[in-house]
Amino acid sequence: MGEQKKDKKFQSDYLLEMIRKKDKKFYPDYLSEIIFAILISVEILIILALLYYPSIGRQIDFTRPFQPKPEWYFLWLYQLVKYFPGKSAFIGTVAIPVVSVLLLLLIPYIDRGRNGRLKAIAAGSILLLMFFILTLLSVLQSY
Amino acid sequence: MPLFSASDIYFFCTMGKIFDWIDSRFGVKEPHKRFMQRPVPSNVNYSYCLGGMAFTYFLMLAFTGLLLSIYYVPSEKEAFKSVVAITNEVTLGWLVRSLHKWSANLFIIFTILHTIRVFVYKAYRPPRELNWMAGVLGFVIAMASGFTGYLLPWDQKAYWATEVGTSMFGTVPLIGDYLMYAVRGGLDINGTTLIRFYSFHVLYLPVSMAVILWAHFHMVKKQGIAGGL
Repeated sequence: MGEQKKDKKFQSDYLLEMIRKKDKKFYPDYLSEIIFAILISVEILIILALLYYPSIGRQIDFTRPFQPKPEWYFLWLYQLVKYFPGKSAFIGTVAIPVVSVLLLLLIPYIDRGRNGRLKAIAAGSILLLMFFILTLLSVLQSY
Repeated sequence: MPLFSASDIYFFCTMGKIFDWIDSRFGVKEPHKRFMQRPVPSNVNYSYCLGGMAFTYFLMLAFTGLLLSIYYVPSEKEAFKSVVAITNEVTLGWLVRSLHKWSANLFIIFTILHTIRVFVYKAYRPPRELNWMAGVLGFVIAMASGFTGYLLPWDQKAYWATEVGTSMFGTVPLIGDYLMYAVRGGLDINGTTLIRFYSFHVLYLPVSMAVILWAHFHMVKKQGIAGGL
């Protein structure tokens, strides 16, 4: 009895393996996954949009001081600029952002030759870490 | 209980007939048959859907943006009032505005996740270098859209954030002053800046993005989906 069960389990594992190894077709295998992902993304959007809708801001008033705050995906730049005051400002506003975009753009060419992948991983992690750390610092400093 | 009722099946048949009528003249089915039936790598998993999810948010942005453009007025005097009207008076205007804002945030998030996915799976390697670059360019356009869109509500937050943002152009060596003047359409931020940003936000950037995305998808179609790790 026990052996029979084991046999059946083995068979089902084998079947699953076969199904897994089967070549996927764009239609219906991949397309169904994509459609499922699209439905999920629309649901995420609708839930967030209904729960947290944007309020109306204050009318422009030059007599009142205002601490500007950019969108979250610009916080890293906003934080970066703080470290380069005065004449060196262009390092934070122009040089580092331009170099970052160029680095990201040239990832396929950084990943060349011996240890290419390692160099690419280094470049990618520097960019990602810079983004995360500066954003985090900016968020922490505003509290 | 059967999955579909008789009226459902009748509906599908009618839809099929309408589609066939259009397709016999338009001819989209035949050339796409091979595309639809092509094999994809067997290790394709749900992380391969991140780009498609980002594209969904792009379509939502286009759709809600078209709706917002009906009521939004890009002028110094009317902009703030029109945003108030969209939020408080227009039927479901608050929801459309909320959907637009959330789509923008989610678009950026899912583009970053999609980029990380492509990086982890080494899908930027030859022959896909150009497609990686198209993606990076698309990401830059997305950031620019976020920056220009932030000014449009024309409130305190928008004004001062753009003041700081555009002043960065002034720090470019040599041409800084001219560049900042060109971006602002004047010495400081005014109605001209608003129209300039509006134009970029609803025309230049979305059209560029559409071209970039077409190229992006074209290359995916030509080169196929990159295999696993």
